[in-house]
Amino acid sequence: MKITAPHLGNVYIAAKALFDGLGIEYIMPPMNNKEALEIGSLYSPEEICLPYKIMIGNYIQAIEKGADTVILPGSCGPCRFGKYAEMQMNLFNKIGKDLNFIVIDAPTDIGIKELYSRVNQISKNSRRRKIRQVGALIRAVKVMNLIDEIEEKAHYLAGYEVIKGECKRLLNSCKRDVLNTNNPRDMIGILEEYKRKLDSVKIDKDKNPIKIAIIGEIYTIIEPFSNLYIEDKLMDYGVSTKRRLTPSWWVKDTLLKPTKLNSLEIKRSASKYLSIGVGGHGRECIGEAVLAQKEGFDGAIQIFPLGCMPEIVSKAILPTISKEKDFPIMSLVVDEMTGEAGFVTRVEAFIDLLERRRKNVLSRS
Amino acid sequence: MYYLGVDVGSVSTNLVLLDKNNSVVEKIYIRTKGSPIKAVQEGFKILRDKYDNIKVYGAGATGSGRHIAATLIGADAVKNEITSHAVAALEIDREVKTIIEIGGQDSKIIILRNGVVSDFAMNTVCAAGTGSFLDRQAERLDIPIEEFGDYALNSNIAVRIAGRCAVFAESDMIHKQQLGYNKADIIKGLCDALVRNYLNNVGKGKEILPKVFFQGGVAANKGIKTAFERALGFEVIVPKDYNVMGAIGAAILGREIAEKEGKTNFKGLDLASSIFESNSFECTDCSNRCEVVKLHENNRSIGCFGDRCGKWSNRVKAI
Repeated sequence: MKITAPHLGNVYIAAKALFDGLGIEYIMPPMNNKEALEIGSLYSPEEICLPYKIMIGNYIQAIEKGADTVILPGSCGPCRFGKYAEMQMNLFNKIGKDLNFIVIDAPTDIGIKELYSRVNQISKNSRRRKIRQVGALIRAVKVMNLIDEIEEKAHYLAGYEVIKGECKRLLNSCKRDVLNTNNPRDMIGILEEYKRKLDSVKIDKDKNPIKIAIIGEIYTIIEPFSNLYIEDKLMDYGVSTKRRLTPSWWVKDTLLKPTKLNSLEIKRSASKYLSIGVGGHGRECIGEAVLAQKEGFDGAIQIFPLGCMPEIVSKAILPTISKEKDFPIMSLVVDEMTGEAGFVTRVEAFIDLLERRRKNVLSRS
Repeated sequence: MYYLGVDVGSVSTNLVLLDKNNSVVEKIYIRTKGSPIKAVQEGFKILRDKYDNIKVYGAGATGSGRHIAATLIGADAVKNEITSHAVAALEIDREVKTIIEIGGQDSKIIILRNGVVSDFAMNTVCAAGTGSFLDRQAERLDIPIEEFGDYALNSNIAVRIAGRCAVFAESDMIHKQQLGYNKADIIKGLCDALVRNYLNNVGKGKEILPKVFFQGGVAANKGIKTAFERALGFEVIVPKDYNVMGAIGAAILGREIAEKEGKTNFKGLDLASSIFESNSFECTDCSNRCEVVKLHENNRSIGCFGDRCGKWSNRVKAI
């Protein structure tokens, strides 16, 4: 069995750590690229959201590299994502490509027995002893947490760095170097080394850069290709960014969901404007916008794919927050037709808006 | 003391020369025709012939071709169109609260409060109602674009045209023509449809307060201006240099930065006689597959664009 999984930000690094640790062959699809999107758009229904199309591209490019099984986290329907697995299975049947799907759903949806049997489909391919398999899983989670931490730090420090571009360079070489080993222990070592390096990046504490919170639909904010590398661009502009939604946040949130103790701070902040879940991460988007304002950010950028239902709800609520709290929020919609020129113009203009607002406030007071 | 602003847009390339009071000394409006480099050079030729001995103390570039223009001329400021238009409008009148800007391919709304941009929006899905669509319709009806707006003013009854999509608007216009409506009424209907489309899409949810400035090439169209006034219920002001406002803003921003730095990067008006060449290739070093454009001046490479990692664009900067 040769396993693959669609891209979602840096999850491929953790996936590699997991399957290397289990001793199962893992085929990493080529990093998201135009070709993957073109393939995906060719096979997907036109109205489906962008993540679906990119994922189809990932599968087909992975099949070309020899993959025969895909692992996909399911979610049984908080938004269209809940239908992805079924639709994709159907699609591959239709186009006559052999691809076995293993969908990991929450036990509340499919029962603990079914979940166990699905996980077993994967783990039975591992010749390692059970205890070592558990060890591989723990290390993979550690890898995921580490890379998320590193990324968060780099995005935030980019506004304070003395040598321009240092954080971005470190982050990029970290992502490159971590793939050079097949030993999860070494991966953790490399990541910890880069974390230390980031801690010793020369920073100017008096800088007070523009700070922007990135909020919105989880796939399009985590997966840089889908948002035209907005976080990289903001690093180039010397803007500090913060994004609460990360793969490690998602795992924690999903595990805690049955206890209703997940993301309490976000839910509490959202309650004044949106007190119930509207699917996807619509409520989180609202909560994050309120939190960003409270934490002294200059503005927020909401990103979501065209046709995303939960985020359309939050998009309609955001202007109220923006007005009541005097907090600029810009919404950006992405799909395969998004032109880079107009996208960049909006982002640049938004940064200018934040900068000039600040100057104006200072000159008036 | 002169300052230069260059706005390379989809349809036109505009150059302005400002004096030390930021008043316009010269404005040049050239059709881009798909070759931004040539258009900028052409503009420089006109400037050089007229103002041979002047010294430019700061330069700025804006428009969708701002990056290529900036590399070409050595601009001090490279700014997006939204900021440039806002800066130019505020220079004329600090009281402006709304800017309607309709150019060749973009339409934008900029909301200003207390002299700063507080919100903005751009057309996302369709280019119906922008300059290039009007251009095409004028051509189809065999009316010079300069007279297009006057036709609308001669009509009393507007024919209702579906203005949401450029293609459907055109078929609807043809349909109405075949039914026998006269040109003036159809043009007036088109103006109304485009304004309706603008206010419902770009201007959706935005508080449009007077004073309203109407900028960009389409502001020359009196039919659209009156349609806006009718829909909004108050006066819409078209500033004197409405068609080069972006370039004026760029010049002012270029001046600000050049004064702050104490020097300018401007390369001089002589680049009119340089030979520029550009070639593009797909970088295959990683799976991003960036399309990189390389720009050469007299066989010397002066800039690269389009790469994400900075490998190409930084290399030239280092030289």
